[in-house]
Amino acid sequence: MPREHTWRYLTMAAGFAFVALAILFRAYFIQGSPEAAEFLKQSEYYSRLFKTIYPPRGEIYDRNGHLLAGNRTVYEIGVELESVQDPEAIAFALSNMVGTDYNEVLQDIKDFIALGAVYGILDDYVLPEKIDLLRAYNVNLPPEEEGSYHCSNDPVLIALICRPHLARSYPERDLASNVLGFVTQDSNGNFGVEQKYQELLAGIPEDIWVPTDPNRVQELPDVPGGASLILTIDREIQAMVEDVLDEAIARTGSESATSIVMDPRTGEILAMTSTPRLDLNDYQQYVKIYDDNNPFNRATGEIYEPGSIFKVVTMAGAIDLGLVTPETVFNDTGIFYYGGIAIRNWNGQAWGEQTMLGCLQHSLNVCLASVGEKLGAENFYHYVQAFGFGYPTGVDLFNEASGQLRLPGDPPLLACTGEDQDNCREIYWTDSDLATNTFGQGLAVTPMQMVTATTAFINDGRMVIPHMVKGVVQNGMQYNIPPQYAGTPISAKTAHTMAEMLADSLEYESSLALVPGYRLAGKTGTAQIPDPNTGVYDPNQTNTSFVGWGPVDDPKFMVFVWLERPETSIWASETAAPVFADIVERLVVLMDIPPDDQRLEMASQ
Amino acid sequence: MLKRSKELIQAYKETPWRRQMQMISFVAGVVVVLALIAAVYLNITARSATTGRLVQQLQSERADLEQHIEDMRTQLAFILSVEQMQKRAGDLGFKPVAPAAITYVAVAEYRGRPVGVELAPRAGREFGPDAPLPAAYTNSLFDWLAALFADLGGY
Repeated sequence: MPREHTWRYLTMAAGFAFVALAILFRAYFIQGSPEAAEFLKQSEYYSRLFKTIYPPRGEIYDRNGHLLAGNRTVYEIGVELESVQDPEAIAFALSNMVGTDYNEVLQDIKDFIALGAVYGILDDYVLPEKIDLLRAYNVNLPPEEEGSYHCSNDPVLIALICRPHLARSYPERDLASNVLGFVTQDSNGNFGVEQKYQELLAGIPEDIWVPTDPNRVQELPDVPGGASLILTIDREIQAMVEDVLDEAIARTGSESATSIVMDPRTGEILAMTSTPRLDLNDYQQYVKIYDDNNPFNRATGEIYEPGSIFKVVTMAGAIDLGLVTPETVFNDTGIFYYGGIAIRNWNGQAWGEQTMLGCLQHSLNVCLASVGEKLGAENFYHYVQAFGFGYPTGVDLFNEASGQLRLPGDPPLLACTGEDQDNCREIYWTDSDLATNTFGQGLAVTPMQMVTATTAFINDGRMVIPHMVKGVVQNGMQYNIPPQYAGTPISAKTAHTMAEMLADSLEYESSLALVPGYRLAGKTGTAQIPDPNTGVYDPNQTNTSFVGWGPVDDPKFMVFVWLERPETSIWASETAAPVFADIVERLVVLMDIPPDDQRLEMASQ
Repeated sequence: MLKRSKELIQAYKETPWRRQMQMISFVAGVVVVLALIAAVYLNITARSATTGRLVQQLQSERADLEQHIEDMRTQLAFILSVEQMQKRAGDLGFKPVAPAAITYVAVAEYRGRPVGVELAPRAGREFGPDAPLPAAYTNSLFDWLAALFADLGGY
């Protein structure tokens, strides 16, 4: 290289170096500028997506593992506004195939476009069968592949996007609907176990940021699904009880029917139903079916005056205190004055000398009012409360009623005539309440309370807490729920005496509740219903109920039946008792319970 | 002679083209090394990006499959519902049995239908004493060696 050219090279090198330094200098200032910070912030925002992972809702099974509530794939139909070619065609296709309103869809698309939106939802919770119609909309083209987010194979409908997601589904439709409750589109449980165990079933959604940069991808967190529940319900028994009640309503013309079947040793509810029932897959019908007069589950949510079925509580209290025995004789004159009112028997007749067993067998109001007088208000209400009346039983179903029990010294009850709030009067507890309460009038209980109280006669005086959930499956483990006990209102001796009395009284009166081959115990209850407008009891409007169990020597089931306002007869012995027998007749087959003689013979072998 | 040789070697060492070759070789070497590093980096980055995308895809696939399984399970329950089963039983000529038509037979050792269903292992009973793990799963290496020497010592 000639030496005289060196300065030129040096000048060029200095020039390049200057340019390079200028670029570096500029780059440094751009990196540190507020705009750069803003761009960095934006890039950070676009480098990851915010996502909420909703765990699938836990399933609900019956005691034998049959699915009662699961999850089904449904679709959200949306529209990508950028790809919309013909809004009318989209509206037409959706109204024809999916059943959405043509004008509504068209207006929605126009509104989305006017708002400058990128994507809009046109419909949701669409069943897969309807999506299949859309996928094969154009008969000249092959159907759109399953799994594709595009709804349709028609190019005009390319803007329609179908996104699958899970929604609650009830394979048994209206079976056990009063117990299960339902889940609405906002994922909230309503009524029954769906609402009672909402948090457990729904699980906990987790918010996460998913990086869009594949180099930074991380495993998605394993969000545990909602817990699954195993109910104590037996699907076959539940279906049978619902069938029997439907037949009973048709036969007796009753306004409603309610039944509970329970394992009286453990408190496990094998079946529970009341009318009307709801197809849970079409829960929108709820508002048409239910109102204040038709609660979702009468077995736990509605109170009624139980009538003579309540006499077992009065009698149990008196026996427990030693005031009477089954052989104690009472001379029934057909009328008993107490607290300023006259108490009469159901047929208005005098029954003469009767043992306590006879009093229960013939369901004599006069006798039981007299027993109540012997007990006195303090003891009587002590036993009533000890048997759990006036308190929820603790059954794991949403919205359990407590019943209505007025005690001496309680604040007055406001009783209004009809819906007229101006025409109300205060009702205080008086002695006459004691007299009527002894045979189950003037107080109100839930069927569940009645059943719970009766379990004391089976479990040596100890009441079992009824429950609906047998086990919880969470994080791959099953947690079984053991029986729990509510209290011991009476002694074991009293319980055995009561059980024998109720079995004998049923046998001696040749009740329609009897089932050949099986020794059963139970009690009927007929209660007049007060007119809501006048408050006066209407002798032709009754609640008829029956609670019983069997086999008496080794109880396997307890069955409660309540018919509201039967038309064919006002008496429980002619309406509710045969329904009890119908249920038990089929129940013993489903539960593999041989007739007593065969069972005892087999046990002795 | 020796001196002449040294001069020639010196002259060879100082030839301008040889220096240029050394410089070019050095720069080329640096470039090759940088290119290799870049290639390795690019390769690793591309592979991790592909794997990352695959992970995302598999996660999405897993979610779809879980959803599908759940859907299938519910659809199966629809097919096996009480209503459907009763209809199928009726179509096959079955009728509900009356209690009087049943003959009960005592079967030794038969304990009746199992009570309740187990959808998952019961809590607190995963590894019960009735199903102990083999020693191979619980022994450490030292345990195993100790047992081995103990066995050998026995002979």
